[in-house]
This record gives sequence, C-alpha cells and structure tokens, in this order.
Amino acid sequence: MPNMSETFNLSPLKIEQYTLGNGLRIVLNPDDAVPVVALAVYYDVGSRNEREGRTGFAHLFEHMMFQGSENVKKAEHFQYIMKAGGTMNGTTSSERTNYYETLPASELPLGLWLESDRMRSLAVTQENLDNQREAVKEEKRLRYDNQPYGQIFDLIAEMIYKNFSNAHSTIGSMEDLDDATVEDVQEFFRIYYAPNNAVLTLSGAFDTETAKNLIETFFGDIPSQPLPPAINVEEPTEVAANYKEWEDKLAPFPAFLIGWKIPQRRSAEYNALYLAGKLLYDGESSRLYQKLVKGEESIIQLFGFTDERRGPSSIYIGAIPKPEKDLSKIRDVIMTEIAKIAKDGPTADEMQKLHNQLINDMVRLRQSSQARAQAIAEFSLYDGEPGLINTELETLMAITPEQIRAAAAEYLHSDNRSLLDIVPAGKG
Amino acid sequence: MPQAALKTPPKPLAPVPFNVPQAKRTTLENGLRVVIIEDARVPLVSFRLAFLSGDADDPAGSVGQTSALAAMLTEGTQNYSSRALAEKIERLGAGLSASASDDFTIVSATALALYTSEILQLIAEIVFKPTFPENELDLYRRNTVEHLKFQRSQANFLAGEQTARILYGSHPYSRVSPTAAEVERITSEDLASLHRSRFVANNAVLIVVGDVEHDLFLNDIREHFGEWRQGPVEQRRSDRPKALAARKLTIVDRPGSAQSNIVLANLAIRRNDPDYFPLLVMNQVLGAGASSRVFMNLREEKGYTYGAYTRIDARKDSGDIEATAEVRTAVTGDSLKEFFYELERIRNEKVSPEELADAKNFLTGVFPIRAETQEGLTNLILSQELHGLPADYLNTYRDKVNAVNAADVARAASKYISPGQMSIVIVGDAGEILEQARDHADDVELFDTEGNQIDLAEYEARLTGEAASFSGVWKLGLDFQGQEVPVTLTIEQSGNSVSGKIETALGDGEITAGSVRGDSLSATANTEIQGQSVEFVINGKLEGEAISGTISAAVIPDSLPFKGSRA
Repeated sequence: MPNMSETFNLSPLKIEQYTLGNGLRIVLNPDDAVPVVALAVYYDVGSRNEREGRTGFAHLFEHMMFQGSENVKKAEHFQYIMKAGGTMNGTTSSERTNYYETLPASELPLGLWLESDRMRSLAVTQENLDNQREAVKEEKRLRYDNQPYGQIFDLIAEMIYKNFSNAHSTIGSMEDLDDATVEDVQEFFRIYYAPNNAVLTLSGAFDTETAKNLIETFFGDIPSQPLPPAINVEEPTEVAANYKEWEDKLAPFPAFLIGWKIPQRRSAEYNALYLAGKLLYDGESSRLYQKLVKGEESIIQLFGFTDERRGPSSIYIGAIPKPEKDLSKIRDVIMTEIAKIAKDGPTADEMQKLHNQLINDMVRLRQSSQARAQAIAEFSLYDGEPGLINTELETLMAITPEQIRAAAAEYLHSDNRSLLDIVPAGKG
Repeated sequence: MPQAALKTPPKPLAPVPFNVPQAKRTTLENGLRVVIIEDARVPLVSFRLAFLSGDADDPAGSVGQTSALAAMLTEGTQNYSSRALAEKIERLGAGLSASASDDFTIVSATALALYTSEILQLIAEIVFKPTFPENELDLYRRNTVEHLKFQRSQANFLAGEQTARILYGSHPYSRVSPTAAEVERITSEDLASLHRSRFVANNAVLIVVGDVEHDLFLNDIREHFGEWRQGPVEQRRSDRPKALAARKLTIVDRPGSAQSNIVLANLAIRRNDPDYFPLLVMNQVLGAGASSRVFMNLREEKGYTYGAYTRIDARKDSGDIEATAEVRTAVTGDSLKEFFYELERIRNEKVSPEELADAKNFLTGVFPIRAETQEGLTNLILSQELHGLPADYLNTYRDKVNAVNAADVARAASKYISPGQMSIVIVGDAGEILEQARDHADDVELFDTEGNQIDLAEYEARLTGEAASFSGVWKLGLDFQGQEVPVTLTIEQSGNSVSGKIETALGDGEITAGSVRGDSLSATANTEIQGQSVEFVINGKLEGEAISGTISAAVIPDSLPFKGSRA
C-alpha cells in the first residue's frame, strides 16, 4: 500500500484572534459548511487553582453558572437554548472550566447574550449556594460513590501526584464546600470569572464583522479584575512505586489500574508517550488487546488514556479481568509489552498506523464546529496560540520511533508506577 | 448598547438555509441499490452496506443468529484472520464494523478519502468471504453469554424486555435478546447458511457519502459488487401486534431496590407512517427533552426523579411510544399518577402556541447539527433509504415539522396515546410497589429478574403471611450439568432477615444479605473460589420440611436448581 500519509495536506483553518479592552481573549474560526455556530467560553480555573481546605470550588461553579444572572432566571439558560434548537453543557477539569453551546447560525446573538449575562452578573446568593452544594453532593453520590469503579481515578491521582494542587479531585471535599461562605464564593467568581481570565471562541457559520460587533456589544462593558493568584504545580519527577488496595462495594469483578506520572502536555516526551499509549491500548489491533482480550482471553475490558495537563501529566492502563484470572500475570504481560517498546520501539507498520490514525483524528475533529471551537479554545488558553490547531498534526507526525522508545524506557517502568488494586467488597 | 436593551433575549439574525447535499441513486443489474453523495467538506468517506434483514428475521427458535452473523463478519475471512483484519483496518486509520438491529444488518466503514478503494475492498472481503472460524465463534458465544448474565442486573434491560414482550406478543419484536441456550447452540454452519440466504445483492443497499467522484467511484463499486448474486429473500413472519384490551401492570421483582424503573407504553406507528411528524412534535411537547411537560412535572415540580421522558420508537413493521422514569421507590404510585395526568392532558387540551413553537424550533434547529459531521449525515440518509422515505425527505424535513399545527398534535395524541390500554412495567421491589401501583391498572402480573412468572396470589399470601422459619442446617443437592453436587447451608433467622453460611466443595462463604417473605428465602452469599471472590444468589422455597430453589452466580451461565432437607 502506498504510504500517502507522509504527503497528506489539510488546508489550514481560518483563525482570527484579538482581545477586548477588558482583556477577554476572542478567537474566531469562520466556516460556513453547515448553518451552525458553536460558542465555547473557557475560564482559566480548574481544580489546580484550589488550595487545601478550599477544594471543589471550580466544579461548584459549573453548577452555579446555571442558577441565573441579572436578566436570565434560574434554569432559563437551558430553556432558551433548547427552544432555539441548540445544545449546551459545561464541564470542569484540573485545568479549566468550560461552557459551550451549539446553535442554528441565526441564534448567535442569543448564545453571546446568555454567556455575557452570567459573566457579568451571576447570582451568587446564599440560596443558590445552598441549593448547588446539595446538587453537588447528589452528583457525587450518583457518579462517584454509587458507581462501580467510580472513585478509582481520584484515588490513583492522589497516589501519583505529591503536590496538593495536582493530587486532589475535581469534585472536591464535601466538608470544604460546607465550610464555604457566600462571600468566599462571590470572591472566587469575581477573580476567576473575570473577562481577562477567559477565552471566547466562535466556530461555524457567521459573518466576522457581525460577530465582532455583537461580542463588543455584549461583553465589552464587563469590568476586568486583578489577576488570580499565581499557582505552583511543580512535582518531584519520581513517583516511588506506589501500591494500594481499594475495597469497592459495588464492583462486580476485581480490576486494577496502573498510572505513571509523565511530563506536561505538548512536550516532546508527552507526545511520544501519547503515541506509545495508542500502540498499547487503542483499538482491536493494539498490542494489549491482541495479547489479553484475544490471545489469552483473560480480560473482559481493557482501557487506557493520557490525562493531559499544563503541568505534570499522567498516563493510565487498566483492566477488568475475567473472574478466574490471575491479576499479577496480566500485569506481567502489560509490563513485558511496555518493556518491548522500551527496548525495540514501534515497528514500521505501527508507525504507519499511528500516522494514519493521527490524520484521521484531526480530520474528524475538524468536521464538528463545537469540537473545533473547544480545541481552539484550549490552544488559546493553555498556549496563547490558537493557530496550533493547524500545526499540531505535523508536530505529532514528527515524533520518531526512537523518541517513543526512549520515552517509554524513561517513564513507563515499575519504579515510577502507581498500582491500584480494586477488590469487590460485596453487598454489605 | 444601553443596559436596558440587554434585559430580554436578542432577536435572531436572518435564518440561514440548510441544503442537504444531493444523493445520486443507481440500481445495478443484480438489484443492488447504490446511493452516492459527493461531500467534499472534509477528506473522508463513509460507507453503509445495509441488508433489509435483522434480528426480527432470525429463524424461528434461533434468536441471536443475525446478531452473531454480523459480529462474526470481522472475525475471520478467506484472506484475513481476525487479527490481520484488525491490523489492516487500523493501519489505514479506518474503522470497519457490523451490527444488527431489529430490522436491518449494517456494515459500517469510514476512512480517509485517500483509502477509499482499500476500504471498499475490505467491505467486499468481509461480506463475500467470511469463514466464521470455530475458535472466534467460541469466544463470541462465551462473551455473549456473560453479557446476557450481566444484562439481567440492569433494571432498564429488564424493563425493556417485559415491555417488548407485552406490546409485541407473537411478533419477533417481542424478543429483545436471545437466551444463553440459544447463543450456545449457534454453529458456524448456521451462520454460513444465514449468510447464503440473506447476503444477496437484491436484499442490500450501499450508501457512500464523502469526498469521491461519482462516476469513477460507481465503476469501482461495479467492479466489486457487480457480480454479486441475487437470490430469493424470505419474507418475515409478522403477525400484526394487537393493542392490549385493558391497562396492564407488570412488576419485575428486585427485592431491596432503592428505585423503581417505570416504563409506560402504547403501540404506535411504523417509521414510514404519514403521522410521523405530528407524533414527533407531540412527543417533543410531552416528554422528549428537559423542557417538556413530564420532565417539568415529575422532576422540576415534584422532585420524584432525576429525569422523566417520553420517546417514540418507530420501526419497519410497527412501533411504540413510551414514557419512562427512574423514581424513588416510595413515590412509585405518585409518579404513575403524574404520568397519567400528563398523558390525559395532552389528549384533552390543545397545546399552547408557545409550546408548539418551542417544540418545532427545537426539532428544526437541531436537525443541521445532527447532519454536521459526515457520519451524522450518512446515518440520516441511511434511515431514509431503509425505511423507504421520499427522496426529498431530508430537504423537506424542516418544512414538515413546521407544517404541524395544534390540531395535528391533538389528533396524534388521542390516536396514539391510549391510557386505558397501556402497558405499565415497573422494575423494583415488588413488596413496596404492589400496593402503590395496583390501583392504576386493570390486570397485574409479577416476574422475577430471570423472566419467570411468579404466582401473584402466592406472593401476596407470603407478603402478608407469617415468615416461615428457615433456621437450621440444610443439606442440598445441586444439579450441576446433570451431576449432583453437595452443598450445606446454615441459616440463622431473626424475624424476616437471615444470616449464615454456605459450604461447597470449591469453597465456603458467608451469607451477606438475605430475607424471608412467607415461605420464600432470598439470600446473597460471598465465597472465595481459587482466590477470586464469587457472589451467589440463593432463592429457596419451603415445602413442609423440604427446600427447593436455585443458586446462580455471574460466573455460571444458567442458574442451578437444588433440592434438599434439614440435616
């Protein structure tokens, strides 16, 4: 088969970036293939900004932001979007909190108005705070405490990271939330939800001049605020090999999760490890799928992913073995397969697969205006460089087999490994 | 702009028309229908090769064969092993898979446009030359049987299983899943025979959307699929499902459930029924989303549930409309009351102009969002082709939604929502639910989670009757594939709750939860077998001094019957 991936060219996306007088960063990506417009607002606040005794605030705001503002009553945000034929959501991670809408192109003013109203005048009241604290507790019960394997990613993060900013969970401590006063929460909003701490991205079918005028109209008079306090996410490089057993009352089968601390996102090493991970666990032809799900038939489910952060990041491999299988043997297979990559690196066939998959992923991402808006917002917020959307493929394609080999050898070994064993604790 | 202007939502800009790219249709000499859409927005190509036969066409008594055939297409061919095929596909950065639904079997593929001819060749390979290798089929059978076991722990599966059985009667839609025994019986020969009869050119439609040039590409298709043979296709045996004579309540007993899963259902329409659009808009007002009536009532106002919805499921032969919610057990009866209130209200009162406009705005607004990606567009075209919808269906979709008026909605509601003939299925703790729910129905029936009917009169006698005493040591004989295996059960009973232990040749375990209702015992025991924790579910019934029942565990495909007496 001809290796056409080497010469593949994607036409660059149109990107225009500028900053409003109040510091709000704007990125426009006009593309009129379909009459749809996507908005994404990224606030530079995540669990990494929280200190001890004050956890869960970033995520609490993901709830507070739907509780109403000066001109949009509680729950109306959602109703307005639905009635316009749009979709929306918000999420919180260690790195940022995002809010986004996809709307028919004609409804761009509605999306901008809704986002600006809550940026300007969120209703941070005692009543809303009390309500949303309870909603977060309910969410924690539903999504973490009451789900089989629901807590394992939070547990292993605490094993991998030594710095509190990195180690604590996004959902946070319920005691910390209970201790928060409405003044604490108002202050958090004032500092972190300021226009100069956010990026607004539009992608899809819009006229650039019209969009700029609307943005100035709705966002231009929101006052800027002093910069948020600086944070330190530094970590000691080494994780002493770490082991923990976790009794999970809801897990039907034993399982395990392995995690490694690795360098920050977009570093050459991170990129190499991201590719090593794809070779190990991504798809039915991946090395571990073929060894364990096929081959030995010892696993019900195999999964792996990288957790991409601006500071030290991590990579995970986990498995739910079939009931009668020996977990330590399965882990040996995983470590042996990693050791092979660390010794011999990827094969030429595997490099070709990676390149085709990278192109494919990028092309697919570009189809959806919302996916584009979010990818561009991340590059803008994290790197100050929205145009990376057009060059990132080339950067990843340039990673060599030797870089992948060397990164696997340096990071993915037993001395740098956290291992969490999940033991079903039955119905109590 | 002055602040005052920001008080209310801004006016929309001028609407932007959405033109779905044109489909070009060709039928080859052998009857294969080909639909090509040139879509150069991104350098990708998406394929669907769909067969007009699905799970509902499984040979009588062999539910599961069509799904197995679909799953096994990518597990080995004349030129590729399962592994070699996975490697080949992923080396292209592409995707290739097959699956079956009730009415159709669909091979899906997607790739970078530069690999169009490679992927077309692979589609031909799995469709024309599958070998159904014994080792792969064996793995499929075992994994599927495990999955069937797992499904029975899921309340929404149990609710769907009963709803389908009640609504569809003797129509094949009544079976949502095969039994373990049916799966274990599937042979390579069965699949080869099904493949020969179903996979013929005149039973298929090939849809291609992507960055291709029509005339050139049609030549490629002729090359791979032009020689494909035709064949007679057996018509589905399809008794028309009949509406229920009365409102019927079916409870699936899951003792100790904190929630009740409720599904209310009426038969409704086929996918190509002209009432589709009125029903779609009606459903949007009633319960399709989080601003619809049942959601606003049961969740926002009453707080009974995290979400309450209605949905329409319109298939080839028939379809239904369902109202669903997972509610706290204590408000099961109150939730039924609110559901029926909303079902009656939409039948009896005209929807307001505002509600109607909101529903239509939503449906027309999200339509282009769904068509934004190539996969999304391909699935819309696929549905249009498979259900024989008009050629201008996608281009007129938004007009048809907008043409629905309040009178149409009222007509659809009164025609398709029949509260008096509704099926009510509730999965939850029957002991708690029965009294709350029974006044909402004319007939009541009760099932266990394995799908066995429980005698209602006996169950109620147990509920109200004195708890029998199981205390003591029991010697049981367990029937394991015809072999009798000895098991000792030691039970300490206090009121309705039991504790104790189980001893088997493989290992011993503690009873961690258990209760007695009348003369029935249900208990859960945890044992360790070869270092692994295994959970047993024990169900027993006292008859004088004898006990009988079943023991099941996730690691055993079927529950094992036992009989025993006091030691």
